[in-house]
Amino acid sequence: MSNASTNSRILFGQPVSVLLPWIIAAIILLILPVFLGSRSQLTILSQMGITIVFALAYNMLLGQGGMLSFGHAVYMGLGSFMCLHVMNATWFGALPLPLLPLIGGFFGLIFAFIIGSFSTRKAGTVFAMISLGIGELFAALVLIVTVFFGGEEGISGYRDEGLPFFGIEFISNLEVYYLISIWMFVAVVLMYLFSRTPVGRMANAVRDNPERAEFLGYSARWVRFASFTVSGFFCGVAGGLSAILFEIATETDLNVTASGAILLITFLGGVGFFWGPIIGAIVFTLLATVLGLQTHLWELYLGVVFVGVVMFFPAGLSGIIMSHVPALKTGKLGTLVMPYITCVLPGVIGGLGIAALVEMSFHVRSGAADEHEMTLFWIDFSTHNVLPWVVPLVIAVVGVGLAVRNAPAFKAAWDNASTLPEAA
Amino acid sequence: MDLFFVNIIDGLVFGLLLFMLSSGLTLIFSMMGVLNFAHASFYMLGAYFAYQISTVIGLGFIGGLIVAPIIVGVAGAAIERYGLRRVHQYGHVPELIFTFGLALLVQEVVKFFWGQNQIAYFEPEWLNFALFSIGQNTIEAYKVFMILISMLIFGGLLYILTKTRIGMIIQAALTYPKTVEALGHNVPMVFMGVFGVGTALAGVAGVIAGPALGTFPGMAFTLGSIVFVTIVVGGLGSLRGALAASLLIGWITTFAAAYNFEFRTILLAFGLEEPANIWDSGLRDLWTLTLPQIGPILPYILMVAILVFRPHGLMGKREV
Amino acid sequence: MTSALELVNLRKSFGQTEIIRGVDLSIPKGERHAIIGPNGAGKSTLFNLITGRFPQTAGVVELNGQDLAGKAPYEINRLGLSRSFQITNIFPMMTVFENVRCSLLWSRGYKYSFWNLVARSNDLTEAADAILEQINLTARRELPAGVLSYAEQRALEIGITIAGGANVIMLDEPTAGMSHSETDYIVELIRKVTENKTLVMVEHDMGVVFGLADRISVLVYGEIIATGAPEEVRANPRVQEAYLGAAMEAH
Repeated sequence: MSNASTNSRILFGQPVSVLLPWIIAAIILLILPVFLGSRSQLTILSQMGITIVFALAYNMLLGQGGMLSFGHAVYMGLGSFMCLHVMNATWFGALPLPLLPLIGGFFGLIFAFIIGSFSTRKAGTVFAMISLGIGELFAALVLIVTVFFGGEEGISGYRDEGLPFFGIEFISNLEVYYLISIWMFVAVVLMYLFSRTPVGRMANAVRDNPERAEFLGYSARWVRFASFTVSGFFCGVAGGLSAILFEIATETDLNVTASGAILLITFLGGVGFFWGPIIGAIVFTLLATVLGLQTHLWELYLGVVFVGVVMFFPAGLSGIIMSHVPALKTGKLGTLVMPYITCVLPGVIGGLGIAALVEMSFHVRSGAADEHEMTLFWIDFSTHNVLPWVVPLVIAVVGVGLAVRNAPAFKAAWDNASTLPEAA
Repeated sequence: MDLFFVNIIDGLVFGLLLFMLSSGLTLIFSMMGVLNFAHASFYMLGAYFAYQISTVIGLGFIGGLIVAPIIVGVAGAAIERYGLRRVHQYGHVPELIFTFGLALLVQEVVKFFWGQNQIAYFEPEWLNFALFSIGQNTIEAYKVFMILISMLIFGGLLYILTKTRIGMIIQAALTYPKTVEALGHNVPMVFMGVFGVGTALAGVAGVIAGPALGTFPGMAFTLGSIVFVTIVVGGLGSLRGALAASLLIGWITTFAAAYNFEFRTILLAFGLEEPANIWDSGLRDLWTLTLPQIGPILPYILMVAILVFRPHGLMGKREV
Repeated sequence: MTSALELVNLRKSFGQTEIIRGVDLSIPKGERHAIIGPNGAGKSTLFNLITGRFPQTAGVVELNGQDLAGKAPYEINRLGLSRSFQITNIFPMMTVFENVRCSLLWSRGYKYSFWNLVARSNDLTEAADAILEQINLTARRELPAGVLSYAEQRALEIGITIAGGANVIMLDEPTAGMSHSETDYIVELIRKVTENKTLVMVEHDMGVVFGLADRISVLVYGEIIATGAPEEVRANPRVQEAYLGAAMEAH
């Protein structure tokens, strides 16, 4: 807003308050390896960065354009395959690796241009169905066109065969982390700026009301097509980054499961705010890697959480965070602390109790007959004793019971904190 | 020629199976405007429940065939009542996402209870014999049984839809969904009922297809997208279209899988010369391509073509 | 001089039923023209034919002398015709300010550009704020349009319609469902924002029609039975018969 900038400090022609989140994000990206510097941690962070780019590109369609795609991994996957073919080409030695994602982006854009030319004619169900068909089609093509996709083994290459970039050969994970972080930062900034352009704004308008947008001089189809093509570009960039990080692309990169995962990530983070998918990507990557190491059932929990979010918090995690803003504005955020402790906390603990019971049943059913030792929440016990079953059961019943009992009080406190007093 | 008749029968079995799913899905779509991504998950639940009832509890195959679809239908109705109806207020896209999430969740729940691998759910002994043979190909009694059950269900469905009062309401809803909305109190009950019956039909399909196609956690996603293709090709909301498309896709995929037609025949017919060392050639995929290889993707090509050139589908009145 | 809008023998059938049965109408530039008629006369259909929402079965629609046959709504809008809707038709999840700003984009030449930032264009912001001022919604600038009151949404609908600077404005029942005071407010608003423009409106409220319109056309069963100044139309026996007849049939 132009009038807000008059009394705040200016940097690069922008008020500092606008740039502050970006500066903080850049600093965090810069110093993260100091705390999380191991090989696997750097890989997880790099993967998170790639997922952020992909999720934001996906949300250009879902959140900003109202288009539900079930086959968006195709554009990222194709970008990835293209980049690996470049890595295997004889002239790769003349190409600096940091430019590779641009090639991925270019091909993502080309494919999105071709497929979008007919799939964006309509939004809603038609678009969703065409995207599903295309997704299935390409997943099947991977196994047929083995020259290009390499069949079940996929295509692999070596990132360090590129032209050294100011002496950097991108052999270490740290170098790759910084390369991906810089690309991610640039891509996020560009996608943010795109959402502020005329065509980005009209994508919102077409999402809300395509017919009205047509009576304002815009062809809804062209607006959708433009968003789709630009989204394809950034998906391709994410694919290029993935090629650099993993040095391999397979069928699992562009099948319908991969497309489903990005829908899940984006919706979990929340489609209503630009930064929602970023939260989704971070939380999902952490869950998949950290929780995935702890339990075989993490996908079950993910499914429960996802269905719960769609049913009760359709605005996702970012929506939950932003729903605290009214309370912050009225200055009554503090009054919510006690209700959180008496209602939400017992609910979470009760949920963990249920999860413990689920884990134990799974252990009993699928473990070997004589194997009854298990470890849960850093406690070792035997599943053949009674006590280990009673404790989580009591925790679950008491926790959920407390949450249900205190829910009305929580709601009352919430309503009170979120509304301004009548006098104002 | 013998092989041709065998494929006609196999395609009919698969097509009728598809129709048992697509009929329910298209009815649900017509009335509520939501494409139920989890429809095939109920098909999977039907197979697993039937396994549990017939094998583990010991009620036998017929016991599973009767009880499992009822449980599936009740579960479907409950999900409509407590899940879908809640999400409905947010709009169509969240609804579609909800059913997608449900499909994922059902798959994980099935994995939790029955494990990752295919389970030992087989056709009953008394149907496990060769009923007759065409040339040297025998046709198992179970296939004929599947056809009979499917036919029986369509008979019932046809009767309910054309001869009963509730059927009239549903028929009306196919063509004039707005009018049915104006019918008053009954509508939520009708919705729940149609959802329950639609999912129960999917359950029946699961019970009888489980032994033939295999009962494993991925069976829902494998068949689910084909069912989607079927109702889109047939035209959303059209039962006759769903039947036509089901049979069409049943036969296309069966015939494509059965005839090992090689594309090099076409290429040679055009006077092209086969590369001497085929495995080093960039065109090797084109030269070694066979019909069974592209069989699984034919339905998707058909759907995309239909959506692009004829969005109403084969027989639909409404655009998707 | 060509007229702003010229309809020649315009016809529209849905299946067997002919809804618009040969309409001829010429609306000169700068005129405020009202179309009235009993329910089911085809007023909204006529609107939808002119604005390209439906294709006509036969006949000609000309805007400033240019044939509109086969043109999509967005093409017609670019030629300088803008419309509002009977049922409020805004962008509910966007802020009031964004609603208006989006309506300005095409006419100000931004088109499908992705190299401009809308917030950087002071002319856009100023123009949008000026329209908000005009439609009295400055205080609601940052609210999502979906939470506005009904009358405010109707005002916003008019704001969106006029924002692009079209010289032919078509309003479909702008005061439908409004209280007396709200109606007065909207009528004043319409008068203000259609200054020096051609206005075509469908309206049921005769107070509004006779207060605003320079000329009135009466549409009955898909045909225009009378066109003229308010007093002429009021005195026309066929009009009185049509209205009374329709009223009789309804009971």
